[in-house]
Amino acid sequence: MAPHAGFDTDQVKDKARKDILYLLEGVRGKKNLVIETALAGPIGLFVKFSTLQDYGVDKVFLLENGNADVSQRNVVFIARGECAKHAQSIADHIKRMQRESQTGHEFSIFWVPRRTLVAEKILEESGVLGDTSIAEFPLYFLPLEKDLLSLELEDSFADLYLRKDPTPTFLLARALMLIQQKHGLFPRITGKGDNAKRLADLLARMRQELIAGEDSNESNKLGLTPSTTIESLIIIDREVDSATPLLTQLTYEGLIDEVVGIQHNQADVDSSVVGAAPQPAPGPSKAVGGAPAPAQAKKRKIMLDSSDKLYHQLRDTNFAIVGSLLNKVARRLQTDYDSRHGSKTTAELREFVNKLPGYQAEQQSLKIHTGLAEDIMKHTRTDQFGRLLEVQQNLAAGADPSSQHEAIEELIARDAPLAEVLRIMCLESCISGGIKPRDLENFKKMILQAYGYQHILTLDALEKLQLLLSRTSPMATMIPMTGGASHHHTGTKTNYTYLRKALRLIVDEVNEHDPNDIAYVYSGYAPLSVRLVQCILQKQYMTSIIRGGNANTAVATGGASQGWRGFEEVVKHVCGQTFDEVQKGEDKAVKARALLTGSGEKKTVFVVFLGGITFTEIAALRFIAKQEEARKDIIICTTSIISGNRIMDAAIEKSTLGKSGV
Amino acid sequence: MTCKETSHSSHLETVQMNMALNLAALLSNNHLISVSRYDEPRPKLLATPPEGNVHSWTLIPPAYTLSRSVEVLLSLGQTIYVVDATESEDRMLDIGPFTHISVSPNGKFVALYTESGRAYVITSDFQNRLSEHDSRSKIPPKDVQWCGNDAVVIAWEDEVHIIGPNDAAAKYFYDGRVHLIADHDGVRLITNDVCEFLQKVPEVTDEVFRFGTESPASILLDAVEQLEQQSPKADDNIQLIRPNLVEAVDTCVKAAGHEYSIHWQKQLLKAASFGKSVLDIYNSDDFVDMCETLRVLNAVRFYEIGIPLSYEQFLRLTPENLVKRLINRREYLLALRISTYLRLPTDRIYVHWASQKVRVGSEDEDTICRLIVDKLAGKRGISFEEIARAAYDEGRGRLATELLNHEPRAGKQVPLLLNMEEDEIALDKAIQSGDSDLILFVLLQLKKKLPLASFFRVINSRPTATALVEASAQTDDGELLKDLYYQDDRRVDGANVFVREALKQPDSRAAIDKLALAAKLLSDSKDNAFELKALQEASALLKMQEAFDRDLTETFTGLSVNETMFKLIKLGYQSRAKKIQSEFKVPEKITWWIRLRALVSKRDWAELESLSSTRKSPIGWEPFFNLILAAGNPKLASVFIPKAAGGLQSAVVIEMWEKCGMRVKAAEEAVKARDVVAVDRLREAAGQGTTEGREIERLGAGLKR
Repeated sequence: MAPHAGFDTDQVKDKARKDILYLLEGVRGKKNLVIETALAGPIGLFVKFSTLQDYGVDKVFLLENGNADVSQRNVVFIARGECAKHAQSIADHIKRMQRESQTGHEFSIFWVPRRTLVAEKILEESGVLGDTSIAEFPLYFLPLEKDLLSLELEDSFADLYLRKDPTPTFLLARALMLIQQKHGLFPRITGKGDNAKRLADLLARMRQELIAGEDSNESNKLGLTPSTTIESLIIIDREVDSATPLLTQLTYEGLIDEVVGIQHNQADVDSSVVGAAPQPAPGPSKAVGGAPAPAQAKKRKIMLDSSDKLYHQLRDTNFAIVGSLLNKVARRLQTDYDSRHGSKTTAELREFVNKLPGYQAEQQSLKIHTGLAEDIMKHTRTDQFGRLLEVQQNLAAGADPSSQHEAIEELIARDAPLAEVLRIMCLESCISGGIKPRDLENFKKMILQAYGYQHILTLDALEKLQLLLSRTSPMATMIPMTGGASHHHTGTKTNYTYLRKALRLIVDEVNEHDPNDIAYVYSGYAPLSVRLVQCILQKQYMTSIIRGGNANTAVATGGASQGWRGFEEVVKHVCGQTFDEVQKGEDKAVKARALLTGSGEKKTVFVVFLGGITFTEIAALRFIAKQEEARKDIIICTTSIISGNRIMDAAIEKSTLGKSGV
Repeated sequence: MTCKETSHSSHLETVQMNMALNLAALLSNNHLISVSRYDEPRPKLLATPPEGNVHSWTLIPPAYTLSRSVEVLLSLGQTIYVVDATESEDRMLDIGPFTHISVSPNGKFVALYTESGRAYVITSDFQNRLSEHDSRSKIPPKDVQWCGNDAVVIAWEDEVHIIGPNDAAAKYFYDGRVHLIADHDGVRLITNDVCEFLQKVPEVTDEVFRFGTESPASILLDAVEQLEQQSPKADDNIQLIRPNLVEAVDTCVKAAGHEYSIHWQKQLLKAASFGKSVLDIYNSDDFVDMCETLRVLNAVRFYEIGIPLSYEQFLRLTPENLVKRLINRREYLLALRISTYLRLPTDRIYVHWASQKVRVGSEDEDTICRLIVDKLAGKRGISFEEIARAAYDEGRGRLATELLNHEPRAGKQVPLLLNMEEDEIALDKAIQSGDSDLILFVLLQLKKKLPLASFFRVINSRPTATALVEASAQTDDGELLKDLYYQDDRRVDGANVFVREALKQPDSRAAIDKLALAAKLLSDSKDNAFELKALQEASALLKMQEAFDRDLTETFTGLSVNETMFKLIKLGYQSRAKKIQSEFKVPEKITWWIRLRALVSKRDWAELESLSSTRKSPIGWEPFFNLILAAGNPKLASVFIPKAAGGLQSAVVIEMWEKCGMRVKAAEEAVKARDVVAVDRLREAAGQGTTEGREIERLGAGLKR
């Protein structure tokens, strides 16, 4: 048996590209594509439209628009198989096309990431199953960055916590299984939260099923022995720390997401802010996602990933210093550019000319980010933003919640965006174990009067999400401080009051220029979710900042990860199940392998955020990864990227009374 | 439409190493239907050929055609039509009609046999005529088939002609009727008492055994015979072929593969073995493989098994498929031995054996179950589901259930359990698997099958199932939700279904009716007082808005309470706004904010100024200053500074004055606060010589001393 290959996100990207091109090749001749909107962006990330054209793609339509024409004999649908809605919509398309055109069409459906019984049942009941050829396009993880894999399931948060639909957990388990099959079992699985536990159980079950499965003999047996290149898998359930995403993200990338919104590494920005797109459109906007949207000339799609050197540098820094960083870069560029006057010889001049395209790209990017940063600055300088932030930070720091109520009331009276107001209310509820019944009722009444009675549904959804609860509700109660001694534990919610001290969530002296703790991402608050990861990966550092109070010994000598050891007591105050499992293979193989590889190699740790992760948390994890660089690689996996607004979006009712159809 | 005739041709997909079959059917109206795969058959109509009597026809598998789709050759009239998915093309021949058409195994050649007794071999693209043969027979043959890719075999009742390239021909005569079965490397001839295999002599065999040959391989074979007779000539032989020894060994190994006689297999392998013992370096992999393969081939060729497979056929079939064929013949022991010998998976064999056992086993069910479980325990890859299915199909339901319990893959069990009407177990297994698709699939089936009450009973105790039913019904099945919530006494949820319906109503009247239904659900419980009140308010608001819409010819419907007030104030309907405030008990503070915002957006400075004469504002006066200033009226804004100044620091107040452009006032404040720095700064800003500057100078003078 060959040793396990090291994990590389590029492989995931390559595989996705190969898979789709292979499938397209299977459909002979020219074809029209009909893609689900939510997949158009992701597919554009790994395959260019021009490549699709090479494989016979003529036109691309969006499934939801229902306007695919009959210009090609071959029509290929690409949609998520888990969604019954899409199956119905595909069936409608097919029936319409069969009506509209005389020539027989060849219909293909590529289900992402798998074909499902339900979708095919729907096709069958619509009477079109026999007219289609069906294939699977196993696109699970989409690599957003070299260290970031996302399933990009937009509704995963609502699915998991509002509708209690286990699909995201199942798909995540499948995706992780694929990694295990290729690179070996995660030697250790450590995690926190009920859904995280469910995920770990699913992984164990799938492993059993793989062994029992008929193809176990043919597929390489690598998947059944512990990996030699992976150190562990850490699973954090979003539910264990609902408060963090409710806070306003204060890194550059986080704020872009808050203010403009980032989807699949792209942001739609007003061209008045970043200037119009340069004539030869940059690669990404030519991709699938950009193809069918010529109408909105006002918006420009900005690619936000590490291919933009400047952005790579800025994205995870606190927004407070972005201005000065941009300034520095601008000055450097100027001097570099001015150096051409100094060039005497033709060789020097040639060297300068060779560098010119680089300068131009950098200048372009500088222009974009200066514009973007200014736009965000406009937002952060408003009175309202200041108020919001102040309330948030007071609540996070443990101030008496009722002292903040007046400010919340004022925000409502001033008609601040509903999502922002709800975020603060939910934050209070999460951090202090619910809101006093009288106050909550008052707030609810104000919300309904200010924003409309349709939000009866919004408030109900937030209660179902357990984000907005009354202090009398049994679900709101926090895990008692006294710890595990008493058997009749009354509370189930994460106890921030205790953890604020126990894990030092509030760090007052953050240096935004040269951060020494992850707390810089929220200007003084360290996200609990990432603190938990630190409890596993950076035990010494955690111990030192809790005891010593000072974060001087920034770099910890993290030995082999020991699960939750040393933090068992603390972790009990975080809601949900705690687990730490070791996956063993056959003993012989393990020993032989350990001998073969030795221990000097750098290993990979997979940190999985089930239910979504924010850009600030990603920044904090990258901060840890930077510190641990010498010993391990950290790969972040998630069901989707979320933010407080996206969480609120899952709950907020969009229609209004008495007006629909107008 | 009836099926007149079907013909199928098999081919091996070398890429996937499994048999992929193509099937085409010719209907009596000459329409053709093709099926390209059997796992998911999708019958497809091919292009329509012309009418007429089809004398004979065949197909070329897609792997060998340019169009990559199946092509059908039809003999119509004098010519041949080639039909694929898109077109039907006349190949313009004039030598027909053809009673037989046959395509060579590699798809490159076509053999045609005419009514007049002539046989032609052409390339399958119809570009070249390769050979022609006159059988001189008036009787139409029974069959025309390819023998490998090299020759064509024509069979009559008891006579067989074989036609090779360059018009080479041979004839064989039989006592009884002969049947032809084409294989890819030859043709099998079956009569009442013999089965013969006709093939081109393999080149390696020819090389070793050709009469008078002096090839190194034949000398090596001779050497081993000399060795057996202990003759020194053995060594002479070796020396003779020394330079070509590797080649000789390879040839002997290969020739052994093509040998049917065990004696000669042994001799050839012995020769190879002898040869390689002389060589210093030789890679024996092929030799070892051949020994293994021959052992397997001899075992299946043994008359009790009776699979006379050639070496080539074995390679194409693959060992896995040979095992499958043995399993189908219930030769479990041999299949097992071959699998173990060739290190192949054995799970299929056990599963097939067990399935057979449950079908025909005469023992009672417990014994059978125990027997099977004992035998299969600890073996990898066993699909108990398949065995259980066999038991179920045989009508042994209890046995099936029991066997199914041993299936580790929850997902696999579900479809069978559904078939067996073990609905609740199926649902539980689906939930266990964590696969929401599977759970939904079971739920869909159950919903269709069970009365609603029973359906609810089934899902009630299973939160995941309930959640999925709720989630999927939310979009399209409100009625189901209402029933579900009613049954569970979840009043708020039930009411919310009506609220959602209310939101979909096109007008206020209909929405109000729906809201009333929602309210009715909540009316008899104290716990939901808040929700009930909210619903009543929502209706009340809609009614008031309707009246406003009518009276004021503006649209209010759809706005919130606050927005309605805002709009009323902005439009100047103060008293109506007041009415809303009292009706909905809007808090004083909020009302003030709304009034302030509305008046500012209306730029109603007079009204704002009159407000400034009010004694007290519940929201303080600072917001007035800020909003009015932001709206661009510093003069009016400044009016509010003294009123707001009460609780503020002097620095803030100074700034407020400054923002309004009133430096003198700011300086007065600074003097009051004895803030020398501020006074200096203000004087600077105003400029030395200006009236303003002098005024500030004057004010500050008192402070300096």
